[in-house]
Amino acid sequence: MKRKIDSIIEAIIFVCGILSIIFVALIFGFLLKEGFAFFKEFGVIGFITGDLWYPTSDPPKFGILPLIIGSLFVTAGACVIAVPIGVMSALYISEVAPKGVRDVLKSFVELMAAIPSVVIGFVGMVTLVPLVRTIFDIPTGLTAFSGSIMLAFMAMPTIITISEDAIRSVPWSYKEGALALGATKWQTLHRIVLRAAMPGIIAAIMLGIGRVVGETMAVMMITGNAAQIPYSIFEPVRTMTATIAAEMGETVRGGMHYRSLFAIGLVLFLITFIVNFTADLFLGKTKK
Amino acid sequence: MLDKIRVENLSCFYADPKEKGGKKRVLESLNINVVENEILTIIGPANSGKTTFLRTLNRMNDFDPNYSRKGAIYLGNDNIFNMNMEKLRKRVGMLFAMPIPLPMTIYENIIYAPKRLGVVNKKSEQNEVVEQALRDASLWNEVKDRLNSSAMKLSGGQQQRLCIARILAINPEVILFDEPCSGLDPISTAKVEESMMELRAKYTIVLVTNNVKQASRVGSRTAFFLMGKLVEVDKTGTIFVSPKNKQTEDYITGRFG
Repeated sequence: MKRKIDSIIEAIIFVCGILSIIFVALIFGFLLKEGFAFFKEFGVIGFITGDLWYPTSDPPKFGILPLIIGSLFVTAGACVIAVPIGVMSALYISEVAPKGVRDVLKSFVELMAAIPSVVIGFVGMVTLVPLVRTIFDIPTGLTAFSGSIMLAFMAMPTIITISEDAIRSVPWSYKEGALALGATKWQTLHRIVLRAAMPGIIAAIMLGIGRVVGETMAVMMITGNAAQIPYSIFEPVRTMTATIAAEMGETVRGGMHYRSLFAIGLVLFLITFIVNFTADLFLGKTKK
Repeated sequence: MLDKIRVENLSCFYADPKEKGGKKRVLESLNINVVENEILTIIGPANSGKTTFLRTLNRMNDFDPNYSRKGAIYLGNDNIFNMNMEKLRKRVGMLFAMPIPLPMTIYENIIYAPKRLGVVNKKSEQNEVVEQALRDASLWNEVKDRLNSSAMKLSGGQQQRLCIARILAINPEVILFDEPCSGLDPISTAKVEESMMELRAKYTIVLVTNNVKQASRVGSRTAFFLMGKLVEVDKTGTIFVSPKNKQTEDYITGRFG
């Protein structure tokens, strides 16, 4: 009897475990099927290097270069802002802050991660966007720059919490060793602690980037959604994610436009996969 | 013979976790001196305060908020508690029980501190410092062909000698050894002891050890600590042959501890 229950539970756990894999595989398969159907008709190179995105004109033009560059601008901008602030604040939380401050900071950072992206989007829209327009004196505040700032807020909790773990897991003995050699606290922090925690910090940054690349709602609301190649970060851009979200509702199921959005999804998937994979590589390195 | 270190009425405390504001005394009114170019070995059972004493000598305990102390320690003529901590640690190096190679190459491990402290700048000088330090720690022959590989790949004994070399590179006056061989096999232990004996000519050494035999092998003088008090200090030969105190004799002969 006992053995029977055991094997039933085992079977249930097995099914649950396998289900998640099946779901991912199905989603991926669907993406591949529709994406490849598009590539067969339109070709990969023209898709990626085309600089015009007019999916509904006649004949339609499916060039996603403006979208890729849009995503790139927003992501790069967000990294430039979020990485230094994130890593420094992780360092502050784990090494410098007194215990009381640390606990408060940590819970606030975790709270930050819980803010829904649409909230970040609309707060940015009503506060940041007018500010950017007046400060830089440009026709619209809906720019890649505004998007970068808001996305930086979204990447920061990831970067801070994971970097902080990495920094905290540097053995106390390393610090002691460096201090015993007459290093000051700052020298120890930056030469020994940061260095030893580097793989973990890089992984944190990668995961942060992964979140930014895949983010949709906030960028759709703040970046202006103009599918053209931008020449500076103070121009409106449109990202790949925003394109899919904005246009999926208007397409004809099974049509070229519909499939092209899947193809964008495929490109996006590839990018986030590479980013996450790199992060995993670095995380694995810290554990060794 | 000159006193290198003079300890006057040193008491150390740790905050008592059981009662708020309470303090537990771990060292009590300690008076001891360390003579220049000697190896002073400190023996005693667990909780006798010997490691606390050693870590007080270069103020490694100052980072611990639970720790407090009274009294004075003079290095030469300077009270170490009035000195800049980094300068003190340049003059008083410390070797820990477990070897702690920093996560860098062998070369960088050794040149790290001299570079920080601004002792050497030129590349040629750096090479010289690294080679000399490794030779003095009798490690040069084993690692000279792989100075740029990671220090983490060395064996335990080699790592410990690398740590010695790292201290020698900043040319301190005193070296503190905190049970440096507790994690090593007998052959590595013998090598570390050998380097200690050679270092005696140039440096003053304080060695805390749990290994009574080690104390008798390398010590010039030996001090016996018990429950935070200095029970007896004398020439190593005297302590091991005719200790004045009954407790010392009991500990040395292995009746307790």
